[in-house]
Amino acid sequence: MRPMLKRYFLFSLAIWGVCFGSVPRTPAQEGETNIRVEVDMVQLNVAVMDSKGNYVTGLRPSDFVVTEDGIPQKVATFGEGNEATRRVTRNAPGGDKPEGRSPGGSSNFADSSSELGSELGSLVAGANVFILFDTSNYMYRGFVFAQDAIAEFVRSLDGPDRVAFYSYSRDLSRATTLTADRSQVLRGVRTTVAGDDAALYNALLMTVKDAGQNEGRKVVVVFSNGPDNASMVPPEDVAELAQSKGIPIYMISTREAKLEPVSSTVFKRMSAATGGEAYFAKTWREQQNAFASIRNDLAHLYSLSYYPQPNPNRGWRGISVKLVGERLKKCHIRTRNGYRPQGTRASGEGVASTSGSEPEAASSN
Amino acid sequence: MKPPCLSALTLRVSLCFLLGVSAYCPASGPLPDSSTAPQSAAVAKPAASVAVPGPLRSFLRMAGISQKISPEEVLPLLARNVAVEGYQGRKDRIGRPTEFLILLKRYVDQADELVRLAGPEGVIRVPDCEHAGPLLAILGYQLQGTCGKQVALETADPERAFLTIDSGFPLAELEETLRGTKPFVCPFASSPVPVLFSPVDWVGAARTEGGSSTNDVVRLLLEDPVLARLYWALARMDSETAAAMKQFAGVASLRPFAPVLDFYGSHISIRNGRVLVPGGASAESAWKSLAGASPDSPKEFVARLLVKDDGWFAAYFDTLSRLTPARQVYFADSHRLQHFYEALLGRDSSPGPARPVFRPDPDLLLLVTRLQFDSSGQPTVPGDLQAWQQILRQKSDSRVVRDWARRASHWKSSEELVEAMFAFSRIGSDEGPLRIYLMLNAIDNVRPVDRRLSPQTVRLLAEKFSRYGQQYLIFSEFEGLNDASIARFLEVVDRLDRISNLTLRANALGIFQSDVGLWQILARQRQISPENLNDSWQRMISPFAAGTNSAPLLFDAGRASLQELSRAVSGKTNLSQDELIKLLAGPNQPHPEGQQVRQEMANRIQSVMESQRLVSLDTLLALGQGLNEMAQGKAAANDLLPLAGQLREFEMPRPMFTSSERSEWAAGFYNSRHTSLQTRTDLAKLIKSSDAGKQLADARGLIVPFLRDTLVGLNYAYYEPPGAQVLHNNPLFVRSHDFSGEMAVGGGQSWHVPHVFGTGLPAGGGAHLAGSLADLPFVLAEAEQDFIVPENVQALIWHELVPGLVSSSTLPRWWGVSRNELHAVTLYQRTGEELLAASAQDPTLRRTLLDILSGRMVPQRLEQINKCLQAGAVDDVLSRVMPGETFFLAAEFRRRFPGQTDSWGKAGAELEHLASLHPAEVSWKRLSDDFGVPHPALAQSYSRELLNLKPFPAFMGYSSRLLAESWDSNNLYWARLADEMGYAPVMLNRLVPELTYRMVEKIFATDFEDWPAILRAMRETGEEFRQGKIASLPKIDGKYER
Repeated sequence: MRPMLKRYFLFSLAIWGVCFGSVPRTPAQEGETNIRVEVDMVQLNVAVMDSKGNYVTGLRPSDFVVTEDGIPQKVATFGEGNEATRRVTRNAPGGDKPEGRSPGGSSNFADSSSELGSELGSLVAGANVFILFDTSNYMYRGFVFAQDAIAEFVRSLDGPDRVAFYSYSRDLSRATTLTADRSQVLRGVRTTVAGDDAALYNALLMTVKDAGQNEGRKVVVVFSNGPDNASMVPPEDVAELAQSKGIPIYMISTREAKLEPVSSTVFKRMSAATGGEAYFAKTWREQQNAFASIRNDLAHLYSLSYYPQPNPNRGWRGISVKLVGERLKKCHIRTRNGYRPQGTRASGEGVASTSGSEPEAASSN
Repeated sequence: MKPPCLSALTLRVSLCFLLGVSAYCPASGPLPDSSTAPQSAAVAKPAASVAVPGPLRSFLRMAGISQKISPEEVLPLLARNVAVEGYQGRKDRIGRPTEFLILLKRYVDQADELVRLAGPEGVIRVPDCEHAGPLLAILGYQLQGTCGKQVALETADPERAFLTIDSGFPLAELEETLRGTKPFVCPFASSPVPVLFSPVDWVGAARTEGGSSTNDVVRLLLEDPVLARLYWALARMDSETAAAMKQFAGVASLRPFAPVLDFYGSHISIRNGRVLVPGGASAESAWKSLAGASPDSPKEFVARLLVKDDGWFAAYFDTLSRLTPARQVYFADSHRLQHFYEALLGRDSSPGPARPVFRPDPDLLLLVTRLQFDSSGQPTVPGDLQAWQQILRQKSDSRVVRDWARRASHWKSSEELVEAMFAFSRIGSDEGPLRIYLMLNAIDNVRPVDRRLSPQTVRLLAEKFSRYGQQYLIFSEFEGLNDASIARFLEVVDRLDRISNLTLRANALGIFQSDVGLWQILARQRQISPENLNDSWQRMISPFAAGTNSAPLLFDAGRASLQELSRAVSGKTNLSQDELIKLLAGPNQPHPEGQQVRQEMANRIQSVMESQRLVSLDTLLALGQGLNEMAQGKAAANDLLPLAGQLREFEMPRPMFTSSERSEWAAGFYNSRHTSLQTRTDLAKLIKSSDAGKQLADARGLIVPFLRDTLVGLNYAYYEPPGAQVLHNNPLFVRSHDFSGEMAVGGGQSWHVPHVFGTGLPAGGGAHLAGSLADLPFVLAEAEQDFIVPENVQALIWHELVPGLVSSSTLPRWWGVSRNELHAVTLYQRTGEELLAASAQDPTLRRTLLDILSGRMVPQRLEQINKCLQAGAVDDVLSRVMPGETFFLAAEFRRRFPGQTDSWGKAGAELEHLASLHPAEVSWKRLSDDFGVPHPALAQSYSRELLNLKPFPAFMGYSSRLLAESWDSNNLYWARLADEMGYAPVMLNRLVPELTYRMVEKIFATDFEDWPAILRAMRETGEEFRQGKIASLPKIDGKYER
């Protein structure tokens, strides 16, 4: 890892510490042989849709039941859409059931419950959107149109979102690092150059790692023709990393799904596993619709987090998010389905230790 | 990077090197962009120029040329790219234009239109949105919506729009200004660039068929690949020679020789009416005899050089020209010159060496570069001539070899063997007699005279070369390994190779090669004493000879081998994994900074082991012992079940594909057998079973796959390239290493350098290595290199150079370097610089220095240096001379003129003083051993050495790997920086990989031989380091570690 990134990580942690304070778990009883396991706060982006596919808004933390490997979890922070995330001051699971609210074009279930605590500040408001654009030879024919589509998407992103624009062929290019300045992003979009092999999953891995270094909500939007002929890492590793970091991946393919079954399979499964969506949008209109859908999603995602309860499982941990109450029974939820805890942090520079979440100590025998 | 409309074009411009291809330094003309050129008395005479349409930045983007070049390099590199990349089909005929060239030509047309729109003022002005139509029409865009704050641009004509984007036209700025009230103002004028000779020469030399009637040199080069290749070739000759070539018969007459001149023309040098030949004046008669023309008659001699033997004579001349003057003298002896050439030529000159895309005969240059001589000046012969007669008789698969084998029976001298090697150099086989000779020479020549390889060992090594030859580099690295150790090795690998059970064989090879790899690391770090090399080596490999026909026996062999390794390095046999990792990280350090760096190195190794989720050696060995005890009737130890549980902790990544999908989409690539076997291993069940009996006796065999992975993982982790991603994100990477050899007939691949397998196959489970652990530092760097993010758009980071540079930074360690050594490295470089500076005012000294440098520089560069020094442009010279060159210059000057210190400055005096106090630490040998780079491809050895070579060109089969290994400036430069910034030598262990990584990010090259791009990137990185922007190290007590 390069030193600049490392410095940035330390800075991020410092800010995180100010916002949250450090909450180390005390070791279990004295005298026991304890294994110190560092556990990240787990962040979930949750889309809730009613039976008609409309977003359900206005839910409270107590409307959600989160379990990990079947173990109930306490929601630590909560936010909706672009609003700032707040600390939850009341235990969510088993709390009061939400009152029914007036569903509309988007269903609203809001009430004036006071279970939310203080705002966490602007740093975690809005989303950090990482756009990854395919500039490989596969994109050659539709390159200029694709660039127009992304430019349009960037222009249409309003609110407090910060945007980074990356492109890839064989190598990754960080054309514009994370910024709130849209014109800077647009300049990045308009300076991309087409050509070379396609290493989508290499580039996506790097993008997810970059995104993971930032606080707050973050999503990755991939705009690609689909095929990959140069990656070293398989999509499974990228999906697991994104799941572990809580980063939904939205994937727009400019190729019809049936024409490239391998990529379309990956796009569907990776986005589903991470809580994102896949779109197959060959035409300009379809691409615009896909971008509009992502925009809409970003504006309606719930952001939940929790500190995992003691769990001896050091492998894959399944996450389940459910809604509480009869009124929400028919609603659908989309979020990541699990994660693998990151390795212990005793090691040197090469370790990917920048999840942007608070390390804490848990103990188990 | 700023778009051209926002900033003036700031190409790097060097006064002195300006027009270096076409004019002398004192006659250099004003720059095309005079605002960026420093003024100097050296600027006097304007050079001929041609106009490139539009800003240079855009043109360079479209032409695939680095933005960091100087204007005089534009046309040569354009010509190079047209000749190499512009046409499909044979290079000596006009083929179909490639997409690259089609786009470039279209861009030139579009740029012409924009230049016209810009008018005589050379500025495109769009006062407001309503007046954007004409510009947008050229650019291929239209307004989306009506003029106003929401207006945006969208593609109207995709072909034009692509050019607009690809050339970097500031479209975003145009969009912004269209939305506001600010007018769009964009300078868009043609850019003058220097042209070699004059435009008329090139117009006259252009092909006449095809109906081209343009007088525009740029368009001529685009349309005529032969002309382009000729331009590229002549542009790399020194100006006096190029002018003479033109004078002989005109540019047009050189067209047929463009390929030969391109590959083999850069060392032709005509001075004062004669051709300078390898070997100097005393060799002129030999060359005259061989060429059939005298070097005194340049026209005739060069004509013979170009036409003789379909280019082989030119290739021979060029190859010998690349040698040091001393070597040239040897080869240019009249007898040898003739005989070696005849051997090279053989019966048939076809195919000529200028026909392929790359130069075809790397072995010829390797032979003459690496040939070793005994004390009497005769070429050395590993073993004896009889051994080679036998070796040639056995290599009967080539007609050339068979012919020479017959002649070999009459050989009387080693030169006859060398003569045969010239013939073999054209065979082009990785397993041919020349490769054997080079390898065995590398092994033999590091040994003291009284301990040279015996003829029997030579025959043995040669006999098994095709199968195990790529493992032999360990014998060239450690001179202490004697004939018995070598024979024992060959005996063991033969035994392992014959294991019939493929799974067992793969595990055996993995464990054995890993143990050998760990021994190699520890011996290299001098943690195994030189006097203990043979004993420790034989003890380490012998357990594998005792019997590995079953998995339990293999486990025992692996454990015993590890114990012997532990004993050799620590005196005890039961090292824990942490202890072993600490030893791998480096030898014990007496000072806090060394201890800190060593701990960091250990952490890195540990980090990879964790990322790969490998089971600890402690667990595996304890399990093995516990199972053994149980098999002998003892009760299960309390901790055995938890240990067995650790084997089951590893989980495969969550699958994204079904088995049938993998079969369909990654057939032959996805093979999880080894890993699946591990996930199914349930030792706990066995331990709990009351009637396990015989199963318990064999149970330790189930641990074998885990043991293999952990040991392989330690090797991978040690050579982790900086910025590695696969090692940290694909937990199957180590486990997937394929030792089966099934990718090649006969399984021989198991002992060869591994290939990166399965790249770009989403359903294949990720890329992995297939083959042995030979050349692991390079192959790991190869696997990781595409995760390095280039700093510059369109930067060419090429695939053989980068792993070479990176592995030269990860393989060496700097534990034994003293402060005096580190400082001496600095002083040598500074002294070289002082000498060059002094020579600006001292013609005699200058001649001396240029004579020394002639062994490291092509004639054109020597000429440029000379002219620049004459002009007093010392800073320009110093910025373009490699650290390796200044280092060599000072060392060689001291060697040749030991008492001549008049020209020395402060650094020279300090160096002399340091040398008088610490002669060993300041010696060439010591510094070469510690700061040289490994040369596994060029010199068949991982030993570090400063070879003092000119940058190697790209060769078929190597691409730019030989260039990487001939680049010895990095470590010298990083060491100097560390010394100047006050770091302790041990800090190099951290700094060197990190600085090299950053340097690679900065490489902005145009072609595979673009070593100046490496130099630029290196210096830029150094500047960042000096400014504290990168690689800053931790402080202790408020100060940087020193």
